[in-house]
Amino acid sequence: MSSSLRLQMRLAVRNLIRQRRRTLLSGAAMVVGMALLVFSRALAEGGHEDWIDAGVRLGSGHVSIQAPEYRRQRTLEHRLTNDDRLAVDAGLAEPGVAQRLVAEAPRLAVQGLASSASSALPVGVTGVDPTAEQGFSLLPERLEAGRYLEPDDRLHAYVGARLAERLDLEPGDRFVLTAQDASGEIVGQMARVVGTFRTGIPEADEALIQIPLRTAQEWLGVPGAVTSIDLLLESSRAVRPVLASLETALGEGSSTVVPLDWREAQPELDAAVRMDDWADYVFHTILFGIAALAIINTILMSVMQRTREFGVLRALGLRRAEVGRLVFTEGMLLTIVSGLTGMLLGLAVVWLFFRDGLDFSSLMREEMTAAGVVIDPVIVPRFHPTQIAQSLFFILSIGILASIYPAWRATRIDVAEAMKFAE
Amino acid sequence: MNEITAGPDQQSSPAGTSGTLRTGERPAAVRTDNLWKVFEHDDIRVEAVRGVTFRIDPGEFVVLAGPSGSGKTTLLNLIGGLTRPTDGQVWVDGREIGSLPDRELAEIRLERVGFVFQAYNLLPVLTALENAEFTLLLRGVPSAERRIRVEKLFEQIGIAGLEDRLPGKLSGGQQQRVAVARAVVGEPALVLADEPTANLDTATSASLIDLMSELNRELGTTFVFATHDPMLMERARRNVQLVDGSIVADERRD
Repeated sequence: MSSSLRLQMRLAVRNLIRQRRRTLLSGAAMVVGMALLVFSRALAEGGHEDWIDAGVRLGSGHVSIQAPEYRRQRTLEHRLTNDDRLAVDAGLAEPGVAQRLVAEAPRLAVQGLASSASSALPVGVTGVDPTAEQGFSLLPERLEAGRYLEPDDRLHAYVGARLAERLDLEPGDRFVLTAQDASGEIVGQMARVVGTFRTGIPEADEALIQIPLRTAQEWLGVPGAVTSIDLLLESSRAVRPVLASLETALGEGSSTVVPLDWREAQPELDAAVRMDDWADYVFHTILFGIAALAIINTILMSVMQRTREFGVLRALGLRRAEVGRLVFTEGMLLTIVSGLTGMLLGLAVVWLFFRDGLDFSSLMREEMTAAGVVIDPVIVPRFHPTQIAQSLFFILSIGILASIYPAWRATRIDVAEAMKFAE
Repeated sequence: MNEITAGPDQQSSPAGTSGTLRTGERPAAVRTDNLWKVFEHDDIRVEAVRGVTFRIDPGEFVVLAGPSGSGKTTLLNLIGGLTRPTDGQVWVDGREIGSLPDRELAEIRLERVGFVFQAYNLLPVLTALENAEFTLLLRGVPSAERRIRVEKLFEQIGIAGLEDRLPGKLSGGQQQRVAVARAVVGEPALVLADEPTANLDTATSASLIDLMSELNRELGTTFVFATHDPMLMERARRNVQLVDGSIVADERRD
């Protein structure tokens, strides 16, 4: 470091220390602002991740592998055959996928009618592998009565609690499912209620039934076939690399199999998360503004009060730009030191709540749902390394924005006039 | 108050024969030619310096004297390049400075001119030693050499042992001695002092004047003062009297 730069740093540090109270107040605003920013980012990240996690576990996973047309026409015509499933299995064995894969669930879904002695209602029937679902879906955890499906079950059904009520069914009762099979014929299937579930989401509780996959395949005349293979990944951040690996493995633009991410498969959830993101951005922008104003106020006040001092510096031979740089250094120093302190404080708070999370249940009178997902009242903050980069970017931006105007003002000082200035 | 600065045609006007430097002649420490400084504010025009032409030779110990508002400080600021002339020219150590760009003007102030102000104007966050070595540091003089030069000077001007004190912990007289050390340590061609004794008691003023007189003799540094102080006027070897921005008397004393 040149002696001139060392002098600037020395002057900047000592001037900040000289105005101790003002420096501490502005620094504190920056520390609190930055800590809040880091913590609220981690909380938002955690909230979104929980939200997405709950959404994908009730829906079609982080990634859903389907036939290309299935998204638009949900009929058995657009199903994955045994050959397709072999190709998918090879794709899932790719290291880029396997490392990030938590669970996979083959599913065969159709729209149909459930009829009991008292009523008949439209339903969505999904044939599932009970073992795979245990590690994937939230439905087994939402058991209300009876039990969940087991691998040896054949003619059993796991039914939404509201649907069971409306059909007047209880565990052990029998009912009939009717749907169109692969050839377009209407076919019926008798099933016995093995258990009921309650998720809090009307769409699931009123119209969803799970039956064993093999039963569904036989009933609908599509042995070995499924309509989707849904993947649960370690986090939503894994979606992009997994999609890239899968597309490579399956052949980009494959005519028989296409992997869809949760945003495409569950557009309502995607829209809700994006809206929440925007609300976060607004909040963070306000925090950013408050922190920037605190710093700009301190540095500008310092410039106004030290007009005479800047006049002396100019008289002694400092150039305009050097005086500006001195003020800029003070602003950046205050911002960087307090910003980093705030970031560390925010990280400490995140770490403190990392295990148990924050319980907002006292603020929620009843179960809250959004975009077909029940919001978990306990939010666990999550910190991702990119947030450190974002925070550093915030700190530098605030420093530059808050220091540049006072620095410019300092360069504009008229030396002779400044010498008349009474401090 | 708005300043009226010279237009390009005015800046490039010739200095006149009286100001022309002949080959081999030693340049004046300061020379002005028909120097004007006019301030305008709310339609009020103040002619602070009116057509001043004079010369100060190297090694002189000169006082610019006159009542308040006579233009002493403005003339000193013009000589020091702290403000620009409305018209006319000013040379410092042979270089015309009135029309120099800011950057070069800052360089002249750093290399050729030392300032002593009425209110000491030490940088409050730097120690006495750091204040005194400030211009040397800006010039890139190595740390060890800076320290040696400042300590020697502090010894010479009677403030040895105060190197590490902050200005707030020094008396007015001590602060002004540090300010004088800061002004002369870089051995400038010229030291400009604006009312340097105004805030000091008689004994301290006398001792400071002794000090500057000694530095003038020993180092050959040119000193130009703007002052009301009769004691300082008494000790000066040349007394330039200003009234309403013009020189009305210029007395030399051997």
